[in-house]
Amino acid sequence: MSRTGSPGPWFAAPVAIFMLLCFAGPILIVTWFSLMPSRTFELTAAFTLENYVAAISDGYARPMMWSLLGAAITTIVTALLAWPSAIILHRYAGRWATLVSALIALPIFISESVRLFGMSVFMMPRGGILAGSLNAAFGIEIGSILNTWNAALVGMIYIHLPFMLFPLLLGVSLIPADRIEAARDLGANRWQVMREVELPLAAPGLMIGALLTFVLCLGANAEAAILGGRAVTVITAAIEQRFNYAQDWPMGAALTVGVIAITAAIVLPVLSRLDLNRLTKR
Amino acid sequence: MTAEAARATDRPVILSLAGLSKTFGDTSAVKQVSLDIPEGEFLTIVGPSGSGKSTLVRLLAGLETPTSGTLKLRGKDITALPANRRPTALVFQSLALFDHRTVGQNIEFAMKMKGVPADKRKARAHELLALVRLSDSYYERPVTHCSGGERQRVALARAFASDPEILFFDEPLSAIDYRLRKTLEVELKELHQRTGRTFVYITHSLEEAMIMSDRIAILKDGDLIQIGTPAEIYRQPRDRFVASFMGEVNILRVEDGTFPDIGRPAPADAAGAYAIVRPEDLLPGSRDVTAEYAVTQRLMLGSRTQLHLASPSGASFVSEIAGAAEVFQVGTSHAFGFDTDRIAWVDR
Repeated sequence: MSRTGSPGPWFAAPVAIFMLLCFAGPILIVTWFSLMPSRTFELTAAFTLENYVAAISDGYARPMMWSLLGAAITTIVTALLAWPSAIILHRYAGRWATLVSALIALPIFISESVRLFGMSVFMMPRGGILAGSLNAAFGIEIGSILNTWNAALVGMIYIHLPFMLFPLLLGVSLIPADRIEAARDLGANRWQVMREVELPLAAPGLMIGALLTFVLCLGANAEAAILGGRAVTVITAAIEQRFNYAQDWPMGAALTVGVIAITAAIVLPVLSRLDLNRLTKR
Repeated sequence: MTAEAARATDRPVILSLAGLSKTFGDTSAVKQVSLDIPEGEFLTIVGPSGSGKSTLVRLLAGLETPTSGTLKLRGKDITALPANRRPTALVFQSLALFDHRTVGQNIEFAMKMKGVPADKRKARAHELLALVRLSDSYYERPVTHCSGGERQRVALARAFASDPEILFFDEPLSAIDYRLRKTLEVELKELHQRTGRTFVYITHSLEEAMIMSDRIAILKDGDLIQIGTPAEIYRQPRDRFVASFMGEVNILRVEDGTFPDIGRPAPADAAGAYAIVRPEDLLPGSRDVTAEYAVTQRLMLGSRTQLHLASPSGASFVSEIAGAAEVFQVGTSHAFGFDTDRIAWVDR
């Protein structure tokens, strides 16, 4: 190839530099810090694995478990909620479907904290929107799930539903109508059509939605803080606490590396099975 | 019609349509279609695009519900029965193969839905592969790795696997090249003869219908306008639409006992307002009705030659003769004629 050959590398350079500085760089620094002795702020000491050993022995497995459990439950519940919605929105596409999609997408443009505080006001006991209205209108008195793990889960499902719904809508739109008719004609009932035709054909959308929701939920912190009232400590809260209050950067870094490793172990196998070409119709 | 009456009595009716209609909004796609299909018949429903033939077959397969009318299978009302509970199978125009599955899984689909055990399914799939002339090695192959003709055969085997009482075909050969289509048409006819099943075939090509069918039904604007054997339709079309639908024909208007287009007297026993003369009946030389025509185009059809002719009054005609017909050069004029017993008379 001639020296003036392809301009490709030059066009890729800005993104490559950005990724090096803002993605690879921080990961490298965090990994380096995780290998430093506890409560140091320099990168010059000899490498040690003491933070990783402490992370396991000091009971950080528990916050990690809450985070993984929360992410898994949110992913499953949003998928169950989004599947019928996506099917209906796709089948009855038209003015109403556009309006409904817009209404579902709209909250994304409002700050997450604002929405969560709104949810908190809604859930509050006695004078809260739900409990207060029920009491005033029907004389029904109810308790509140605010400041519990369940409230945090409701918040996570509420915040992350669009991240599941829109990829799934794309996935559902990949199902040709004649395949469903063919399956019906060959004797499949509604349930069999879903299992044999719709789910496999919509799988790329479902996988993207699940990955987005799962990864975002693993890193979620605000739901547990605002709605969960720190009833449980999620791993992000633990990491924040190590970096801020405890001023133990190496420990926080070790936890961060742990989360990245676990996320990668779950996400990469799924990602490798994803056929992006089919999704973009290439 | 006597031949048809005989057929109707010697075989029981398997599918009976009575006043079947379908409207979408204010357009009626299928209007009051009534038809009895005897067991084991190869019936082809022919119509131009927009004639409602696809809607009709979707009504029969249960993929659409009729606006009015009833559909009976061996005397049992199945009008309200959904597609998955009808003992029929449809071969789609798009074939609608499950691209995420192998050939074997496609063929076994209907049996899997019925809960047939895996080993029995596999044995039957291999039988069906043999029936549609595909080798056993196709069983494991993804459908996406099959050619157009192979996909046709897989779709056919998949439809047969549900052991249907009636097979419906919605123009499955329309997207296939000419040579392969001819091969598959013959194979389909053989398959019909070997299996003895009832076939209802939809096409826009009357030529395709002629080759394969026992009976042809012609659909126009949602109306069934003529039903008969290929020979009946060919010899005695009901109107000019049916006649011209069959291919190129010469239509001569009768006015005051003459054919004004060629300036010759019409036969005294003219039985209609229009005379239909097929291209193979308009031949060089002197016949019952002869006139002078100018050759405007000469097209080689292999063993035959098609001549486009113009009468002195400027009307266009078509003649098809055997051989290369070197003497009929473009621009020359010749006498052509047809015999009156070759005329099919129609009123509309």
